[in-house]
Amino acid sequence: MGIHSDDQKAKMKEMQDNLQADTHPLKRYRHIGERGGRRLDGYKKAGGDADYTMDVQLPGMLFMRFLDAPYPHAKIVRMDTRRAEQLPGVRFILRYDNPELPEKASMGKLPGLYGDQPPLPGIAHFEGEPVGAAVAADTESIAEEALSLIEVEWEQRPFNLDVIRAREEDAPLSYPEMYPAGNYWNNGLFNELVQGDVKKGFAASDRVIEFEFFRRGHTWIGPERPCGVFRWNGDCPELWVKQQRPHLVKKNLSTWYGGVPMNKIQLHCLYQGASFGGWVQVSWNMGPLYCAGFVARKTGRPVKYVFTRREDFYGESMDNGRYRYKVGFKKDGTILAVEGVSTIVNQQWPMFNVMNHFRENTKIPHLYGRSESVWVNKGPAVPTRCEQLPTTLSMTMVFSRVAAECGLDPVEVALKNDGYEGHDMVRLEEEKRQRGFPATDSLKECVDRGRAAFGWDDRWHPPGTRRLSNGRMHGVAFTWTNEWDDSLGTGEIAIRIERNDGTASILAMGCDNGVDAENTYCRIAADELGMRLQDVHYNPQTDPGFFRMSPDSSTNASVNGWAVRHAARILKQQILQAAVSPTAQTQRGEYRPAFEDCTPEDLDIEESVIFRKSDPSVRKSLADFVMEAGQSGPISSTENAGFRWAFTEPFFAFGYHVQLGSYNPENPRPHLTRQAHFLEVEVDSETGEIFITKAVNVNDVGKAMNPMSCEGQQYGGTIMGLSRGKFEEMIYDSVTGVMLNGNLLDYKIATIKDVEAPIGTILVESGMGYGPYGSVGIGEDIGTVMTGILGPAVHNAIGVWIDDHPITPDKVLKALGKA
Amino acid sequence: MTGKGTAGFTCPYCGKRFDTFEELKQDILTSHRGSPLPAPEGQIRLIVNGQEHVENVEPSWTLYHLIHDRLGMTGSKQFCDRGACGSCTVIMDGLPVLSCMVLAIECDGRTIETVEGIARDNHPLIESYVEHHAMQCGYCTPGFVVTSKALLDRNPDPTEEEIRDALSGNLCRCGTYPQHIIAVREAAGRLPGHKDSGGV
Repeated sequence: MGIHSDDQKAKMKEMQDNLQADTHPLKRYRHIGERGGRRLDGYKKAGGDADYTMDVQLPGMLFMRFLDAPYPHAKIVRMDTRRAEQLPGVRFILRYDNPELPEKASMGKLPGLYGDQPPLPGIAHFEGEPVGAAVAADTESIAEEALSLIEVEWEQRPFNLDVIRAREEDAPLSYPEMYPAGNYWNNGLFNELVQGDVKKGFAASDRVIEFEFFRRGHTWIGPERPCGVFRWNGDCPELWVKQQRPHLVKKNLSTWYGGVPMNKIQLHCLYQGASFGGWVQVSWNMGPLYCAGFVARKTGRPVKYVFTRREDFYGESMDNGRYRYKVGFKKDGTILAVEGVSTIVNQQWPMFNVMNHFRENTKIPHLYGRSESVWVNKGPAVPTRCEQLPTTLSMTMVFSRVAAECGLDPVEVALKNDGYEGHDMVRLEEEKRQRGFPATDSLKECVDRGRAAFGWDDRWHPPGTRRLSNGRMHGVAFTWTNEWDDSLGTGEIAIRIERNDGTASILAMGCDNGVDAENTYCRIAADELGMRLQDVHYNPQTDPGFFRMSPDSSTNASVNGWAVRHAARILKQQILQAAVSPTAQTQRGEYRPAFEDCTPEDLDIEESVIFRKSDPSVRKSLADFVMEAGQSGPISSTENAGFRWAFTEPFFAFGYHVQLGSYNPENPRPHLTRQAHFLEVEVDSETGEIFITKAVNVNDVGKAMNPMSCEGQQYGGTIMGLSRGKFEEMIYDSVTGVMLNGNLLDYKIATIKDVEAPIGTILVESGMGYGPYGSVGIGEDIGTVMTGILGPAVHNAIGVWIDDHPITPDKVLKALGKA
Repeated sequence: MTGKGTAGFTCPYCGKRFDTFEELKQDILTSHRGSPLPAPEGQIRLIVNGQEHVENVEPSWTLYHLIHDRLGMTGSKQFCDRGACGSCTVIMDGLPVLSCMVLAIECDGRTIETVEGIARDNHPLIESYVEHHAMQCGYCTPGFVVTSKALLDRNPDPTEEEIRDALSGNLCRCGTYPQHIIAVREAAGRLPGHKDSGGV
């Protein structure tokens, strides 16, 4: 028989159309959805045995550091590296004007956008940008000292840091090499969204309000700093990278240095000290790797580059800017029209339209959204948990405003406006029925469970009306949105049954960011194959030959989970077919089948044992079935000694999944599941300090394949989101353009002391997702949705809107007229 | 300091200077015969996870550099660059210290415990961290484990507030904080002698 079972292969292709409900569900779950269980990476990570790229050390390795621009916009006119070259221990200084460096090399990921960039630029577009020179030395401190000996003559250029100023006609060009015509950039994707006619909606409204707010720039704070190691083994590059998408490194590298065949590149992606998208999305991360490879070839030694903590601070999330809204609604909270314009900075990716979530999960008939990107002299803005920050922030602000203006409970306003693409819930229920999904009112279920767990009905009150006995003002907030729809992607995964003990190895790209996805894949494979969970292991491949949907981040389980399921089903069919077939055929004849006189359909596998369904006493463990390997490998040499010792064929299957997802502007299917979040705060009106006292997350994840992992994303995302809402902002000096708080003392993130409040985590399982078994993604969304909820909570406490996020004590005092 | 300097030759035992090598030799034979050769400058002896190490360190090396880069104990991590994150925490003579803020040269005669030693000794913290998913990307996890171990060493039954106080210098960007409270409390309950452990 062939590697692929035709029947399962056909089903695999069928399920790539995930517009319908799962047509081939699993009959029962054993490990999928099971609570508890240890993380696959647990002992390694807790015991200090998990290695990260930062930990890599190779014999003879050089350390590379980069020159950082002292000015926000400047060109190198002249550079003298002679003193640095004379420093003992300096082995190579790569200059921006090295004639062997190409003017541009492939650094990007999206064709036609910003793909090709100089590997080592000579012009800085933000203060702190690594430009001009890369020093490779015996130690990091020698490299650093050498950098201080480099003399540079800079031509300073006019710069601008302000999002509003950027659009003014006389504003200096911030990135003139890339955008010579102006600071405004329209990449033509998702920039404009039109549904209905907002003018009609405003005309029919009881009230029309207008407001604006700002979100200041914040960053990812990946615990492991950006780094990489490059070694040449002859003409074969070997790399270690901190990269969420290692296959992109390989793809880009294949075009560098005159071209390197893909099959000569060996790439290791160890554990990843998280970057939440962030760093890995930027072409900025490919240049240093290019330089490391260049110098490694010149010196004949491995080269490791590591960014400083400060250098990693310059990247931004995609929501830094100004948001303007006009909203028309009825007195009962029914929203008729929303017009939103966001102006945000330095978008290196296609923007996610600011009105997308309004379109995707409301019945609001009239929408207009425009997302503008402008360039300022700051670092690149990339998806950082995640590109949907602007639209979820907008949902939170618009719905909270409308509820407050109407004097209504925001939960009721949400339920009143739930729907999709301007259609009401009746139409959405019909969509669910037609596509074979259970007709669950997802938002209502999320809201009911969250409201009860939070005690919402006792805690919500009109804004600014509840002072507590401790003197603080009490406030609550609610927000909601749809499932995470970042389902575009591809997954390729293989499973092999090991000789000797019959255990299963999942073979796929290694790239762990910590969401315990590998555990989920093992659960899927175990249930699909009928194996014990302890008999399935994830063996990450050091080479990204198997693509995985952004391997351990965006919607990994909802894409890669399908691939695992497909592979497991194909493999199971192979095993059962082999069990009823001659175990082998050699020149001396056939070996008897393990199970005689039956068909594959007569057999099943449970607990890693193959058995006859009509008589389970006829059984053979997978280990016994695949048999021991002989001295000469799987085919036993004992045959030559006169025994007939049967053997089985190799069991290996691969599955793949290609998912279009709803990132396509032509939304392929309505969003069916919802999430709801509740927050309680106390505000000290004398100091402006905000105390978070309770949070509850409710997520309809469709199917919780790995519940503890899902909950980890709920409380973890809440902490990250509230940290951003409460503390996080990169602060620049407006005169010099220099970042003032690029370190972990001056840029605050939440500590364990900042999250003393209980965080409730509730998982709803409606089965209405696009992933396997009706699941949806959860890893990105809570950290994104919770980023904006602090504003409405503080408004509910003090009765005044603060339209400038993060919400810091000085802004609270200013809002109260005390500063 | 040994060898010919501007004032001649320096005795490696007492630092006394001599004009000629013969004078130095004579002094050593008469004054220092049988004495063990003094350690070269920059040489330190320290106990790491119960084993003695003799290392020649440079003045600028941090304890983190010695442990991570020289001894290859890569469980200590560098998250920040200025003593702000706790990821490089080790236990020195019973107290948690930030190994990136301690000079290796200052560690002569010290006893150090790293996460590798804690794991090797099967401390209950390891099992409870794994069981309660007190980690995500895992980069900061060893720092939490070491800090918690130091806490349990001096306070085997900490309250939730005491755990928060102890771990307040450890940053986790994935937001795993709630699980650390649970994991440390549970590990405390499994310590020998704890009322819940059933052990002695």
